[in-house]
Amino acid sequence: MSQAFDIKETYLKFLEEDKDLTMPIAAIESLVIMLRVKQPSTSSELINLVKSNIDTLKTSIPNAISLSAGCDLFMRFVLRNTNLYSDWESCKKNLVENGELFVRRAKESRNKSAEYGLPFIRDDDTILVHSFSRVVYTLLKRARTEKMVRFRVIVTESRPTGLGYFMAKKLREADIPVEVIVDNAVGYVIHNVDKILVGAEGVAESGGIINHIGSYQIGCLAKVNNKPFYVVTESHKFVRLFPLAPNDLPGSINRLIKEGTEEEKDSESMLSTHKLDFTSHEYITALITDLGVLTPSAVSEELIKVWYD
Amino acid sequence: MPNTVTGEIRSIIDPVVSSLKRHQIEGDKDIALAISHLLMKVISAARWTNPYDLIDLIREVGTILSSAYPRKIITGNVVRRVLALIRDEIETEHNENANTPMMSSMFSLLSTSNNENHKELHKQSKKQMSDLRSIIIQGIRDLVDEISNVNDGIETMSVDLIHDNEILLTPTPTSDTVLQFLIKARAKRKFTVLVTESFPNYIKEAQNFAKKLAEHKIETILVPDSTVYAVMSRVGKVIIGSSAVFANGGCMSNSGVSHVVECAKEHRTPVFALAGLYKLSPLYPFTRDDLIEVGNSGKALNYDDFKLVDNVELVTNALDDYISPDYIDIYITNVGGFAPSFIYRIVLDNYKTEDNTLE
Repeated sequence: MSQAFDIKETYLKFLEEDKDLTMPIAAIESLVIMLRVKQPSTSSELINLVKSNIDTLKTSIPNAISLSAGCDLFMRFVLRNTNLYSDWESCKKNLVENGELFVRRAKESRNKSAEYGLPFIRDDDTILVHSFSRVVYTLLKRARTEKMVRFRVIVTESRPTGLGYFMAKKLREADIPVEVIVDNAVGYVIHNVDKILVGAEGVAESGGIINHIGSYQIGCLAKVNNKPFYVVTESHKFVRLFPLAPNDLPGSINRLIKEGTEEEKDSESMLSTHKLDFTSHEYITALITDLGVLTPSAVSEELIKVWYD
Repeated sequence: MPNTVTGEIRSIIDPVVSSLKRHQIEGDKDIALAISHLLMKVISAARWTNPYDLIDLIREVGTILSSAYPRKIITGNVVRRVLALIRDEIETEHNENANTPMMSSMFSLLSTSNNENHKELHKQSKKQMSDLRSIIIQGIRDLVDEISNVNDGIETMSVDLIHDNEILLTPTPTSDTVLQFLIKARAKRKFTVLVTESFPNYIKEAQNFAKKLAEHKIETILVPDSTVYAVMSRVGKVIIGSSAVFANGGCMSNSGVSHVVECAKEHRTPVFALAGLYKLSPLYPFTRDDLIEVGNSGKALNYDDFKLVDNVELVTNALDDYISPDYIDIYITNVGGFAPSFIYRIVLDNYKTEDNTLE
């Protein structure tokens, strides 16, 4: 059993089983399962195991940004507990025993982000939403069902994934008036929009976000039109990256973003499909997270608190 | 939540509540001082066995006070400062018993300790209670000192920021902090100050402000509000006072200030905002319309002019302006100068997030 353990499979199974689970949490969960199965007996074995499994995960999964955020956080947690408190026995025991607790906490943190975000949504608002995000959906749904706020949502179609339609469907189920627009129409509708809400795949150190493609252009339009651009996200998506430009993401990630390019080029469509882009911090009004409403510059401080102390 | 405000406490807070409602206490500093003195009285009068009962009581008092004058952010700030003080005290006492390492916020996801239900565990002896009471009251005394001497901390930076022969512009003649800041700078520097007329609400104040500056041998020019753009090219710095600073770095100031800072941005003129620490608020300015107080429209359009009044649909006279953080270069507080994007940090240092909503 312990020999046949496959971290990638476990990870994918987690994502498959629970649609509400985000990538970083699925990664943390599979690492916990890995520890449970392998039962390392020394602290260096534990660290090596975690390290090698994280590497396997990161290299085998496309689109590893938020995944790596979760892995790094877990690694840091393990290291900190083994080195600083030299009680890795109890730490390991805790980790293995409290697997479900993490998942529950992660869902709670989504709810907490939504909690902080609720006052942002007011009666009569028109809110522009890009693509599908669980946190944004939770926030909007709670605003509608708990606070009885009457607002309207415009969702972008979000090509090439088309996740916008999924978002619109879910919002309509929650009894929120939704309109789907093509991505090209953002400039046309933005005049009537009161605020923009997006989720994030990862939040970079500068406070910029890595998100589904199209977020950057919406950010630019928002800035030009003086509309607030809010990012709703959980703090475990903060990653230690510092991209400088919308296409400046680390090599392996960048390759994955262009995924599909080769085969599509062969067909008639001549379409190159990128999946993610980077919206730098100057376009972001505020980040609504489970740590509270943060300015983009607060992100680096949270990361520093975890990584340098 | 059970109603913890007893008749006794009610009788202490009622006079302040009614004078707040009637706007009898004007001036941010006076309000802050009145509230802190009131809270001191409440804490000495209140009976509690568990410090968390005291927190509940103060929160309830805070709700009553802030609903007495909803657009004054300062009442809430002072209440939250006192709450943070109490919580800090409880925390230090708690930590003496159980020495748990501080977990940073991102790690809270992975931490396995559960310290959520320590509320019930916290029972104290009578002696500890009276100790806590006197510590808290001493804390409020320090807060009162800080508020009363707020200008001293701000003034000390004035000489470093103002050069000789510089032209400054200030659109907030109501701010005592700005006045003291300029007077202090005059001791070492020679400069010119342009004061906007601040029609229609603060004309008298603007004239008095100019007079006071002139008395201190500062070359002062009173300019009409409409000329701000024209003179901006010659202005070296814009100095504004503020009535509240929000966690995102935006602030509330007199009406007309947002027009001035817009002109300053156009000319790349630096804008300095002066604010005492007690004006920093952990709140976030969600909707600007809720924040802006509207005053007597008769000041904007004289009611005696009935021919005109008959033909005009609506005249509003906003008393405040919200200034977004993009327009401000630096905040000068009594604890130092900070970029607007750093204000959240100062806010976190002085308030507890649990108390952001008082209800």
